[in-house]
Amino acid sequence: MIGWIEKVTGPLEDKKRYRDYKTRAKALPAPYRTTVEALDRYLLYFGAIAKGDVLVTMLEDLVEFFEQSAQAGTPLREIVGEDPVEFAETFLANYSEGQWINKERQRLIQAVARAESEESAS
Amino acid sequence: MGRQMTEMLKGTLDGIVLAILSDQPAYGYEITARLREMGFSDTAEGTVYALLVRIEKRGLVDVQKVPSTQGPPRKVYSLNAVGQDYLDEFWRTWSFLAERLNELHEGDQS
Repeated sequence: MIGWIEKVTGPLEDKKRYRDYKTRAKALPAPYRTTVEALDRYLLYFGAIAKGDVLVTMLEDLVEFFEQSAQAGTPLREIVGEDPVEFAETFLANYSEGQWINKERQRLIQAVARAESEESAS
Repeated sequence: MGRQMTEMLKGTLDGIVLAILSDQPAYGYEITARLREMGFSDTAEGTVYALLVRIEKRGLVDVQKVPSTQGPPRKVYSLNAVGQDYLDEFWRTWSFLAERLNELHEGDQS
């Protein structure tokens, strides 16, 4: 009977992690902070990640990477490359298990498999 | 690097990075530096970082957090047995592909 507890603490825990992420992002030197915020926005728009924990993990990974880059003094262009969209989408691919579209992908795969079994039956 | 190079590299960068790691364990920046030495001069560190997250998730590498004198600990990546299998398979696939493309290329020239 821990179901309801998880229902309460799960999201709360995610919210706390999310707030911690925001704090870490804000603490970055200005150009890195601006870039993380821009990437954050794009990843949320384009990613449509429906699972809170996957989303937060993604943002934590992102900010950790930028903290290390800021520490090492890596120029922004060397971090995100010539094409920031390319970087954002390569990065995002790691968290596709949390994407809403994943359900639809499964649905498509199953629909074709069903159609195929009908084909062999006839 | 041109657009075509970027596109072609996309499918092979996993293998290239695993091959670098089969030499010796390395952290993110060292891998990017190696790639740049090899002539992949425009490789973004972010691309390599995203790739490292991916191969870690797929269990191809072991990760060790090593404290650094300045700032947060560094993640050092080393190739494990699963990664070695993947790399072997990558080289087999690569040889096949390179052979076929060369045949096409030679046929084109004669």
